Amino acid sequence: MNPGGLRRAGPWAGLAVCLLALAGPWIAPHPPEEQEDVAGARLLPPWTRAQAIVAGPRTLVVTGLSRTPSGWEFDRAGRRQALAAADVTAGPFPRFYPLGTDGLGRDVSSRLLHGVRHSVGLAALCVALALLVGVGAGALAGLAGGWCDVVVSRAVEVLMSIPRLLLIMVCAAMFRPSIPVLVLVLGGTTWTGLAKVVRAETLSFRDSGPAQAARAAGSSAPRLVLRHLVPQILPVLAVFAALRFADTIVLESALSFLGLGAPPPAVSLGDILASGRETLQEAWWVAAAPGAVITGILLAVRSASRGLAGLDDPPSMT
Amino acid sequence: MIGFLARRVLSSIPLVWAAATLVFLLAEAAPGDPFDRLREPGVSVQTAARMHEAFGTDRPFLVRYADWLGGLLRGDLGTSWSYRQPAAGLIRQAACNTLVLAGPALVLQFALGLAAGVAAARSRSGFTDRGVSLAAAALYAVPSFCLALPLAWLLAVRLAWLPVSQMHSIGAVDMPVSWRLLDTLRHLALPCLALVLPAASGIALYVRDQMHATLGRGFVRAARARGLGSRQAELRHALRAALLPVTALFGLAIPGLLGGSVAIEVLFAWPGLGRLAYQAVLARDVPLILGCTCLASILVAAGGLAADLAAAALDPRTREARP
Repeated sequence: MNPGGLRRAGPWAGLAVCLLALAGPWIAPHPPEEQEDVAGARLLPPWTRAQAIVAGPRTLVVTGLSRTPSGWEFDRAGRRQALAAADVTAGPFPRFYPLGTDGLGRDVSSRLLHGVRHSVGLAALCVALALLVGVGAGALAGLAGGWCDVVVSRAVEVLMSIPRLLLIMVCAAMFRPSIPVLVLVLGGTTWTGLAKVVRAETLSFRDSGPAQAARAAGSSAPRLVLRHLVPQILPVLAVFAALRFADTIVLESALSFLGLGAPPPAVSLGDILASGRETLQEAWWVAAAPGAVITGILLAVRSASRGLAGLDDPPSMT
Repeated sequence: MIGFLARRVLSSIPLVWAAATLVFLLAEAAPGDPFDRLREPGVSVQTAARMHEAFGTDRPFLVRYADWLGGLLRGDLGTSWSYRQPAAGLIRQAACNTLVLAGPALVLQFALGLAAGVAAARSRSGFTDRGVSLAAAALYAVPSFCLALPLAWLLAVRLAWLPVSQMHSIGAVDMPVSWRLLDTLRHLALPCLALVLPAASGIALYVRDQMHATLGRGFVRAARARGLGSRQAELRHALRAALLPVTALFGLAIPGLLGGSVAIEVLFAWPGLGRLAYQAVLARDVPLILGCTCLASILVAAGGLAADLAAAALDPRTREARP
């Protein structure tokens, strides 16, 4: 495999991740928070085929199920157990855990599919917000000049002078973390680099021939930006979007990993990683799955951005 | 040179002030009572009011802000609400611990990244180049806190070579100095490795690309034509030019290390600045958060300054172009 091949594979892998994110809830075998039987389904290794049987009010997840003259015999929670046929009210139903289960008996593959959807969706929203604010602020600073330029440039400098994760952590903790707050905070700290670039581009564009022609033809400032400037800097925007998308995935996962992400019904890749950290001694697979997915997404997005740019960008240090 | 330094230091003061003010305003705008989390359910209204009085939070906003700014000028960051100790002392202790982790990480990531990048570029699409590029591209895509888990699993759980958490072993105080140093090094290895590997990969990829670009430039060929050996032409001339954009990375690496070390310090229970800030944020300990923010933005400014100085040392043009 050569880097060129990797570069060509990037967009396809990115597309696959997007499809997975869209289709996640439909192809996930279980609901992400489902705990059918915590003791029985706890930390089952990947590719486990199990059975669920209902005994009275309880659902039991068991492996190695076999029929005996008196009822059923099975392995559950590390012990061989037996149950009389009369006690079993329903089942057995097949259960399949392709990536195993976590410490609370939840299916890792289902959580992963929901987590990809959450993380990718959130990152996409953040990048969209950052594009909007970055282009808006940069073009405003470049076109209007004067105190607009001063305000935007100083705001960019101030935001860049605080390590992003620290600022995001403060905001997320101060204003109860929720999805809108996370989008605002992550997107609201991402736009700075773009605003700087767009401002510089606007300054060189402002007095160029095309800009003068457009102004002479009577186009307003917003039209000048949207119809003339943006198409010109589209490659820059595409590369920015791809790279910041990757950063946002990392930051969002880190935030969830630290327990400052979106609250429980939402499942982030960082949440799964955090649950994998707790059971790292007994079960490597819970942490390995989200780690591999985050790595895959980053690899795909960054190689796609290298393909988009055709040149090489400084590594992100966030 | 002195004038340039002074100008840069002076111009970063308003930035630090603005950053701290931003966080002050954020803390002010946050809903709810900051002492809710410290308060037991049975605490009376009078006791709660006394808590506000003790920490001075019952005063109007502008008075508190002025008081805090005045304290900052004197180097007094106020009293931490959760530790009930001067915030400055807590931050100093944590900053020293972070320095123990981030200092070696910074040096190692640039040393490793530069060596791997130069080796890859010099082999010119050979086996070393492909191997380094592929490994670096893969490693660079693993965030440090993701990498930390397999590393901890392998080195601490499976092989049990290294301890998983804290900075010292229990009872390290009674050890002789050399043993204590070794003990800290053993505790340092895992978090440092997790921080260094992805960052070094990024640097290696970047250095390789920059070197590739400069190796084909005229002045390198001119140096070869003058009779310099390939090693000297590549290392003395091409590397020097390729290093220039890398110095900008150095400025970025400091906030990167501070930010990246939050998750790593929490994960490995390293008692550093990132973990202190994390605990302060969880406890909503505003004086401590403000102190950490100030220090972080000072470090970011210092990183930018260091990068500029390095660029000036490498490239005479930037020295002359300075207003």
